[in-house]
Amino acid sequence: MVRLGILPAMAILLALVVGALVMIASSPLVRGSLDLGLPLTAYGALLSGSFGSVDAIINTLVQATPLILAGLAVGIGFKAGLFNIGAQGQFLMGGLAAAAVGVATAGLPPIAAIPLALLAGVAAGFAYGFIPGFLKAFTGAHEVVTTIMLNYVAIQIIAYVVSGPLRGENVSFARTETITSAALPVLAGRNGHIGIAFALVAVPIIAWLLFRSTLGFEIRTVGANPEAARYAGMRPRLLTILTMAISGLLAGLAGATVILGTVGHIPAAYATGVGFDAIAVALLGRSHPVGILFAGLLFGAMRAGSGLMQIQAGIPVQMVNVLQAVILFFLTAELIVRYLFRVRAESAEISELKTITSSYGTGQAVK
Amino acid sequence: MRKHSSVAILAILATLALVISACTSPSPGASGSAATANGLCRPIGDATAEETEAPETAPPGSSDLKIGLVTDVGTLDDRNFNQYSWEGALRGAAIVGAAEPQSIVTTESSEYENNIQSFVDEDYDIIVTVGFALGEATLAAAEENPDIHFIGVDQFQAGDDPVAGAGLDNYESLIFNEAQAGYLAGIVAASISESGEIAAIGGSGTIPPVVNYMRGYENGAKSVNPDATVHLKYISDDLAVAFNDPTAGKTFADQFIQQNADVDVLFQVAGKTGNGVLQSVTDAGIYGIGVDVDQWLSNPDSAECTVTSAEKKLTLAVSEGIAAVGDDSPRAGNVFYGADNDGIGLAPFYQFADLIDAETQSAIDEALASMASGDLDPCQPSGLCYAGEADPGT
Repeated sequence: MVRLGILPAMAILLALVVGALVMIASSPLVRGSLDLGLPLTAYGALLSGSFGSVDAIINTLVQATPLILAGLAVGIGFKAGLFNIGAQGQFLMGGLAAAAVGVATAGLPPIAAIPLALLAGVAAGFAYGFIPGFLKAFTGAHEVVTTIMLNYVAIQIIAYVVSGPLRGENVSFARTETITSAALPVLAGRNGHIGIAFALVAVPIIAWLLFRSTLGFEIRTVGANPEAARYAGMRPRLLTILTMAISGLLAGLAGATVILGTVGHIPAAYATGVGFDAIAVALLGRSHPVGILFAGLLFGAMRAGSGLMQIQAGIPVQMVNVLQAVILFFLTAELIVRYLFRVRAESAEISELKTITSSYGTGQAVK
Repeated sequence: MRKHSSVAILAILATLALVISACTSPSPGASGSAATANGLCRPIGDATAEETEAPETAPPGSSDLKIGLVTDVGTLDDRNFNQYSWEGALRGAAIVGAAEPQSIVTTESSEYENNIQSFVDEDYDIIVTVGFALGEATLAAAEENPDIHFIGVDQFQAGDDPVAGAGLDNYESLIFNEAQAGYLAGIVAASISESGEIAAIGGSGTIPPVVNYMRGYENGAKSVNPDATVHLKYISDDLAVAFNDPTAGKTFADQFIQQNADVDVLFQVAGKTGNGVLQSVTDAGIYGIGVDVDQWLSNPDSAECTVTSAEKKLTLAVSEGIAAVGDDSPRAGNVFYGADNDGIGLAPFYQFADLIDAETQSAIDEALASMASGDLDPCQPSGLCYAGEADPGT
């Protein structure tokens, strides 16, 4: 467990170093002269914007919630040897369904409206993950290709539905009505909604599912060696479909919590990067639920602190993207990091990187 | 040991090189600087921008107002909407003699509230929010923080009275009449078109100002040539693609031009994505019309094909809002910018000036005058514009 965390920790450290170098190199543009202290100002602001006060910590948790849930979605896929790039689309469909039901249940008391809206989001995500799983299992259509394409389909479905049938009245642009009784209650601070708890509860549940249940054992076995799994009497097709659907369910829940907890409606054109950042979160967390929890918190903190970083240090928000990208770079360029810090290679485990590198070009039907 | 550290340095340098090269945007195609322009385009020659009158500024430090700006999803240097609002904030700060403003760029639709709150937490006095999508978050923040003045660009405030809007003293919305600007662009397009077939490419049909521009464009074109064919196309409902992706704009426009070879004037209404549309126009050698700002200036790569631009005077409007706060007479409610107060208009024609004959010029002037007086509704006859975007007088 601790050993697993070494590499990601080193990657983060290196990213901070590279980020600091980039900031110093660009400081003449931001500050007018070379400023060696700029990284300190920037990282200081990033830190105080994410952990500097109770509000900041709550905001970090709010930001981390969808990243953790969607990160678990991608991570569980990795465990089964599946690369779900469709968390983005599943997130959006979950958000759309939650908004639709949330608007429709405005007359119900929250105790009924909230579960219904959440259920709708989860079900939509499940269904939207089921599709690529089914296609993979029965036609061999590669999930990388189908999920990417389904992301665009989701965007267009939302645009159509929200500018058409679901468009709210008395709103100045295309969006749904405001969600009232299905809105997640804010329990702490300015925006600390109850959805945070979903992410914190999902982590042990998924950990149990993966490491303590028969289904999890089968998922991991299929991921490690589909041939062996079939030889042992498991059903790779069913497991592929089920894993993609569970993955979609988690991403759909992520979308539902954001829409019901933070936004309060869904616009016809909803801009988000959660589904893609989730891939980075899953990689950084090494597909382990606990690792994903911490990775999600880290990325959430960066999102929460980026506002203050822009105000106090004048560093553009793209710096956060640079940091995330460099972390990923060092994670994937594992050899460099091992060399730098002399960390020995881990024992042969199912590596999520292996899933990525091998998932291209193996587009055969699961037998 | 030595080997290890050299590998370390190499690795970091390599990463840094990658990062830095990723930061610098790719240089535009060489077509922009070609000595002879292709097709209908013309070399810029010695056309230059007129000197804009520098506003009267107070000495720096004479005001302790802290000014912050929150953008919609996109980038600050989009050479378009965000950038010119930002320049309005800079100019406003100079006018009142305040410190240089700070900005937060939004990356996620769920982040509007948080980004505004960041400025509130830092005790800012004026917060400018750019884009209609931030309207609700801005309104809520204005209600919560009566001591902070909010300026919303493109955020129509609904209310019993169209001018008072939400009725808050500390929230002013800058509303531009895009349909009027589009109407003028339409007159130009239909007049200079030889084939009678013109087009507009918009970012997304879900965005009110975009639709208004395009409706006005169609009506303006039909007003000078009722038989004109006006194609109205939208690129994507994915906001990032619709307004922040020049490559997508170029691809879309390339295909459109290929399939509609007779179209010889193309109006872009797609923000940064539209810069790619203008690039495509330049490659094809047809006339382009820019949007929101004077794109002949802001987007020099395509200047030789950019006949004019349908302008919203963003910089003017934002700086006036800030200056009013500096004068202790902050504005509130919906502040309209249209034909009647030079809030919209056409950018200069530069090297294309002789293309605009007396007849066209008088059509433009007449339309401008009757829109200013309220006699001409640029949204008619092809259909209503989005609520709140039309001048309240019409």
